[in-house]
Amino acid sequence: MNTKAWLRWGGWGITLLTILGIGVTLLPYFWMVSSSLKTGAEVFELPIRWIPQEIQWVNYPDALSRGSFGTYFSNSFIVAVAVTASNVLFCSLAGYGLAKFRFPFRDLSFQLILCTLMLPLEIVLVPTFLVVQQFGMVNSYGGLIVPLAVDAFGIFLMRQFIRDLPDSLIEAARLDGCSEFGIFWRIILPNCKPALGALALLSFRDNWDQFLWPFVVAASDALKTFPLGLAQMEGIDSAAYHEIMALAVMGMVPMAILFLCFQRAFVRGIALSGLKE
Amino acid sequence: MGRKPGSPKEKAAVAGRFARLWQWTAWPSSLSHRNRLCLAGVFFVVPALIHLVVFKFYPLLEAFRLSFYRYDLMSPPTFAGLANYKSLWENPLFHQSFWVSVKYMFGVSIAEWFLALGLALLLNRAMAGRSLIRLAYFFPIAMSQIVVAMVWKFMYHPHGLVNIILEFFGVDRINWLSTEETALPSLIAIGIWRGIPLFGVIYLAGLQAIPKDYYEAAMIDGAGVFQRFIHITIPLLLPTILFVMVISLLSAVKVFLNPLVMTEGGPNGTTRVLPYFIYETGFAYFRMGEAAAASVVLFVLVFGLTLILLRLLRRGDVQ
Amino acid sequence: MKRYLAARLSFCLVTLLMSTFAFSQKTTIIWWEHSNPPHNNYSKELVADWNAKNPNTPAQYEFFAMTPYFKKLTAALSTRSAADMFTLIDTLMPSYTTKNALAPIRPEWLGYKSLDDMKAHYVPGALDGYIYQGKLYAVPVVASVFSLYINAKHFREAGLDPEKDYPRTWEDIGRIGKKLVKMKGNKMDREAFDFAMHSSTWTMWYFNALIRQYGGEILDASGKKCTANSNAGVSAMKARAMFVLDYKISDPTVSVGTNALPADDLPKERISMFITHAGSVAQFGPEVMKDMKVVPFPQVNPQKPVTPIYGFAIAVNPQIPEAKQKLVHDLIKHVTKDPKGWYEKTSYPYPSKNFLELPGIGEARKTRYLDVFMTDITNGRFIQRSPQILEINGAIHRAMERVVLGGENPKKSLDQACKEINAALAR
Repeated sequence: MNTKAWLRWGGWGITLLTILGIGVTLLPYFWMVSSSLKTGAEVFELPIRWIPQEIQWVNYPDALSRGSFGTYFSNSFIVAVAVTASNVLFCSLAGYGLAKFRFPFRDLSFQLILCTLMLPLEIVLVPTFLVVQQFGMVNSYGGLIVPLAVDAFGIFLMRQFIRDLPDSLIEAARLDGCSEFGIFWRIILPNCKPALGALALLSFRDNWDQFLWPFVVAASDALKTFPLGLAQMEGIDSAAYHEIMALAVMGMVPMAILFLCFQRAFVRGIALSGLKE
Repeated sequence: MGRKPGSPKEKAAVAGRFARLWQWTAWPSSLSHRNRLCLAGVFFVVPALIHLVVFKFYPLLEAFRLSFYRYDLMSPPTFAGLANYKSLWENPLFHQSFWVSVKYMFGVSIAEWFLALGLALLLNRAMAGRSLIRLAYFFPIAMSQIVVAMVWKFMYHPHGLVNIILEFFGVDRINWLSTEETALPSLIAIGIWRGIPLFGVIYLAGLQAIPKDYYEAAMIDGAGVFQRFIHITIPLLLPTILFVMVISLLSAVKVFLNPLVMTEGGPNGTTRVLPYFIYETGFAYFRMGEAAAASVVLFVLVFGLTLILLRLLRRGDVQ
Repeated sequence: MKRYLAARLSFCLVTLLMSTFAFSQKTTIIWWEHSNPPHNNYSKELVADWNAKNPNTPAQYEFFAMTPYFKKLTAALSTRSAADMFTLIDTLMPSYTTKNALAPIRPEWLGYKSLDDMKAHYVPGALDGYIYQGKLYAVPVVASVFSLYINAKHFREAGLDPEKDYPRTWEDIGRIGKKLVKMKGNKMDREAFDFAMHSSTWTMWYFNALIRQYGGEILDASGKKCTANSNAGVSAMKARAMFVLDYKISDPTVSVGTNALPADDLPKERISMFITHAGSVAQFGPEVMKDMKVVPFPQVNPQKPVTPIYGFAIAVNPQIPEAKQKLVHDLIKHVTKDPKGWYEKTSYPYPSKNFLELPGIGEARKTRYLDVFMTDITNGRFIQRSPQILEINGAIHRAMERVVLGGENPKKSLDQACKEINAALAR
């Protein structure tokens, strides 16, 4: 077959794969949404009934009434935004430092930073809790936010991304007399939009979904976050799954909105056509 | 600093000291250019580093120190030397766990490396409804992990969706989560399903950063699609690829919510990943010291792999 | 590092000072529970009631997700930041009592003359699960038991009379099951009977009762040696597996790790007989219960019945001062003073001795099988107490899986389990 035919078949093939991929991706989500509109008994009916017999819109307000979900949602939001903002700032600072500067023990610091990613929270749970306790931050917003304020994941991401930026940009700015922080703020950051967007999105998601740490730190209802509220809907072996699914659907809304907002960061690339090598 | 309101002489001395301190905050112009850059680099990194040392690194070291103690979380720890490590070595469950983790880790990561790149390449092209398609693909990221476990447990039910589709194609029903051969692959599939959008986002960011000019120049030179991919995309994407490889391994090795909720480590321990073993030993069996020892082993494994990857992909790393 | 140490010490000092200062003001009692929708709301009502009557010593009620609850509790106890009183499931008692993590309960503070007096007010054996070395460490709020639920409709369809022909022994189940099972080709379409296999705790609830019915025990009297591989144990394992391997009325791969709710197969009519706990009556709801009937837990020897029971109880934090512990006892007294209220609001039976004679209970005795449950509770024994209970559960569960799923010889499987259990007990 000649190239043209290959491309045409390839094009169809890719379209088909795309549709299939979307299907596989979205099927669980569809089941979730449809379950959120069923009665409790219908949820686990087999064979699967996709359209509920009678759409139970009432599940949504019912689910919200099972706990102070207004509080849980806003706490999740506060914590996720705070941690994301902190992450974006400190990780890009650190990533820039690791990517474009040379100082003694640089690579060692980087490896140590990576080390903090290597163990699940369960193992360091009690020691971390003790540290937070020393600072008097147990059962407070500080305890929820501060320990998560910097994550090595973000540092690694920004470092990799900033490495790619041409040194010439930075040198030129230095020659112009720009301060180091000025270079960071005015040259580096604007050119990192895709990475910053990715970091903000993933950081927000990670913190929105955080369960174990808030679970251990929050001892009062006023401080609980959304995942905690969701988890406590389950009892020993009884749970209103239709309401849990309704809550889960509501929980996905902030992420979806955020993603749509950050779309633009993924569309713009770097236009360096003006730069003279 | 003196606190008492003092004589003019004292005040002047205080003011002088203050002024000198203030001078320190201004850029030390006495240093050479290279040293100044060095210092600048340090200042950029230090805030994050301090935070990580206090909240992540110190607890990590504490956890490692505990591996040499017997600790049941209630009574004070007692020194036990290498007893915990010996216990682990003699525990067949630990060995099984270790290999289950290795299988899970590589099963999920390697698939993610390639499939996520494919997804990103796909979504990088201009096409109708791109925003919506992207949104559709990224939904799994937005789903809470607890809900993912619930939903997929149901998908894998003997009468569930996966089997329904199989039966449509004439394949016999498989009991995914309760058969030894299929339990771990089932969980790996979920890990991949959730990981692809996550790393797709990162790859996408990386692809977006490659200047279009390079592609245009190459096209003018007559390079084909495949050649452009090999000679432009891959080399410029190498830092991102390295990132994805390391992070996917590190994420996969920490996962244990799904085995916990969906299969309780079974059947016959085929889904008991090492973090699950560690959590069980520490929090369920109250043998925190042994759990810490197992986590040291886990750490060494992961650290080693990371080092290897960093070395292998030096090209994506060298400045 | 030194500076950090100094900072730590000074923070400790400050927090200590602040906490003693806090004590001189209104005393709040903090009560933690795990999430269990049927009873959390009632607990909240009780607390609101207490707060109305005791404005100077308010109680603060918090509940947390069920599965990681004990993780949080352990971490909190370990870092001295736990609540004043907390609810525990009985199986976890030894994990905490053997480490002096719970304060002993004073029966005098609850209005009884002594522990024996308190025991007399409960169904015999109801407090055993919470007693360690002669002292009581928690006060029960809920007692539950496992009984046999049968689908009366299926019985009638098969020409059996659910009122007379229900199984009393395990062999009965096998025999009757053969008439109830439905096959589709060579895959089982409707099981006649099965055990839940999704959790090692459930497996232990069944197995412990079985081995006792055969006259044995999982551990010896000292609790230091595994006796699960005795003849009684082997018989118990054989009984556990015979519905799959011999009678062929069970398909284990259908229920392993698949059901979100362990008793879900029953209301969906995928199974005709299933052993589940007393709370399922309320869970299923009156619609489903119309076709169901509850009968006593099956026995090896109906003359010497043994059933598995479990419960939740409130324990007291030993790290709080004595005066506060007394206050906590008052709150516990308040919470447990109305067994009928508990049952009506949560549908969990209460193990008090005169429960069935309480005014107004008669209705429930007739329509919600309360008689069956209370009989089973009276014949009930808690799971073997051991701080290593979770490891023991795991070993037995794995042994059961090997036999039921892999067809391994029961004696060999239990020998292996005992090897693992002895190793765990020795550590």
